[in-house]
Amino acid sequence: MNRAVATVGRDLGRILEALGGLLLLSLVVPLVWGEYFALPALLVSAIVPLGIGRVLYRRFQDAEAPGRFHGMIVAASGWFSVGIFGSLPFLLIAWSVQLGVPGFAVPAQTATLAAFTEPLNALFESMSGFTGTGLTMTDNEEVLPRTLQWWRTFSEWIGGVGVIVLTTAILSRPGSGSLTLYESEARSEKIHPSIVSTVRTIWWIFILFTFLSILVLWLAGMPIWGAINHGMTGLATGGFSITDNSIATYDSVAIDFGLLPIMLLGSIAFPVHYLILQGDLRNFYADLQTRWVFGYMGIGSALLWGFLYFGGPYETPFAALRYGLFQFVSAATCTGFQTAVNATNVALGRWPSYAQLTVTFGMFVGGAAGSTAGGIKLIRGLTLAKGIRHQIADVFYPESAIRRLEINGRRLNEEEASREFMEAAIIVILWITFLVVGTFLLLLTLPSGEYSLANVLFEVASAQGNVGLSSGITGPDSLPTFGKIAFLFHMWIGRLEIIPVLVMLRTIFKRGGFYE
Amino acid sequence: MKLGDLPIVSTVFEAGADDRVFDLLLLLGPLVIGLVIVLNRSLLTEALGVAYLGVFVTYVLYRGIH
Repeated sequence: MNRAVATVGRDLGRILEALGGLLLLSLVVPLVWGEYFALPALLVSAIVPLGIGRVLYRRFQDAEAPGRFHGMIVAASGWFSVGIFGSLPFLLIAWSVQLGVPGFAVPAQTATLAAFTEPLNALFESMSGFTGTGLTMTDNEEVLPRTLQWWRTFSEWIGGVGVIVLTTAILSRPGSGSLTLYESEARSEKIHPSIVSTVRTIWWIFILFTFLSILVLWLAGMPIWGAINHGMTGLATGGFSITDNSIATYDSVAIDFGLLPIMLLGSIAFPVHYLILQGDLRNFYADLQTRWVFGYMGIGSALLWGFLYFGGPYETPFAALRYGLFQFVSAATCTGFQTAVNATNVALGRWPSYAQLTVTFGMFVGGAAGSTAGGIKLIRGLTLAKGIRHQIADVFYPESAIRRLEINGRRLNEEEASREFMEAAIIVILWITFLVVGTFLLLLTLPSGEYSLANVLFEVASAQGNVGLSSGITGPDSLPTFGKIAFLFHMWIGRLEIIPVLVMLRTIFKRGGFYE
Repeated sequence: MKLGDLPIVSTVFEAGADDRVFDLLLLLGPLVIGLVIVLNRSLLTEALGVAYLGVFVTYVLYRGIH
């Protein structure tokens, strides 16, 4: 047996076991809400990944620890598998309601739930959830069974921190290649020398912040079920909602402003949270990324406020502030909650193009590396900006001058600066390339003249940045099949920062098998 | 028997924050939210919610100042 297959199979098995465990845990929800018809579907959804995972793990448990290549394949295939098996609850519950379950009272089928009888729609919803995107195939989330509302929320909450981080925290043994896997999931920061301790710290911080977020929203006036779901998806910067018009449904200034710190918490790196909780409050301004989370959100929101008030659809400065600030923070933290909808004010898709492009820029950059946010990440944007300035300024110095590039308190020599600049540039170039190609292809497949270039660019950036804001294109009927498949790919590469997916695809298509 | 010997408590103390206040908040969080679910919105549950948030903010600021 190929050693690489064994290593990948073993770790993939662990990930599927963890997913099965999460589904078993979710059985509490239909029991509490009395949705007994969902129990068989949820049980089968849990048993399938649990069984496959168990078989894979037992078969390959003595495999070697993963190297960098295996780590990338595990991350890419693991996230894709989680998307596939995570779609089972949507598919099976939708079919349970469609066909009925002997011995159980089943509610009437709705158009929203019926959309999930299509496997592609179920897969889209699952991938959107686990990648923390928040684009949805539902027309009206309110009519979904509570079990599915919960599964959407739970998938985003888990996905926000990371499937591998979860698996490492509960199933991994120290020294079993956890660091390699951890780094393959678009994370590199370490809080403690041990990676298992690091992920456990990430989890207690995340769980504590979840409780705080739920209580903030509830105190702001949200009903408790909404507060639980939106607190979890807001902190995970996922953006799934249980209401038809996202956060706009509540039409509450207190809730809008209460969500801002929750989304911001989600876009700050976990090591910084840890230091702040240890009492080192200087990190709010001493850490480059955290400083820029606030600076960049402030500048972007002010700009958007100006566009919306002076040249846009809002008549009062406060309305422009309320919707501009919320939508920019929601976009730049890659959450995707929406308050700008036609039902209460002016939908995002009807904002002036320059305002939409400002929001698109926010989605492109995203939050801090090491947080739950998507996009290219602030540190890469800052590395590129500083690197370009460094290169240009180089012309004004004598050739013999020794210059160092300073990033986040680190003084990099020529070689280190070149390497970091190149790594950031590769990700950004790939990100832009996929954004442009995706926009072009979606323009070709959408009905001619129905959506503007700004609308399409916005939607693709939203999928790839794992944001979830929509200009109205995404939906079970409005998005063509090709668009759904393309968006699955955008969400997948966006979550893993592209490289692991390309490595896996190259392995599959070029070599036709695994490397030895 | 000590508090730290109880099943769930011992897990939180072992894998949690290594800080008794944060560990306590981790343990009390589900209880406070559970009470909110059972008792709905009332003066008592709102006071509990405010107290929970207040303890967290005050403690973080306290640690920052000291």
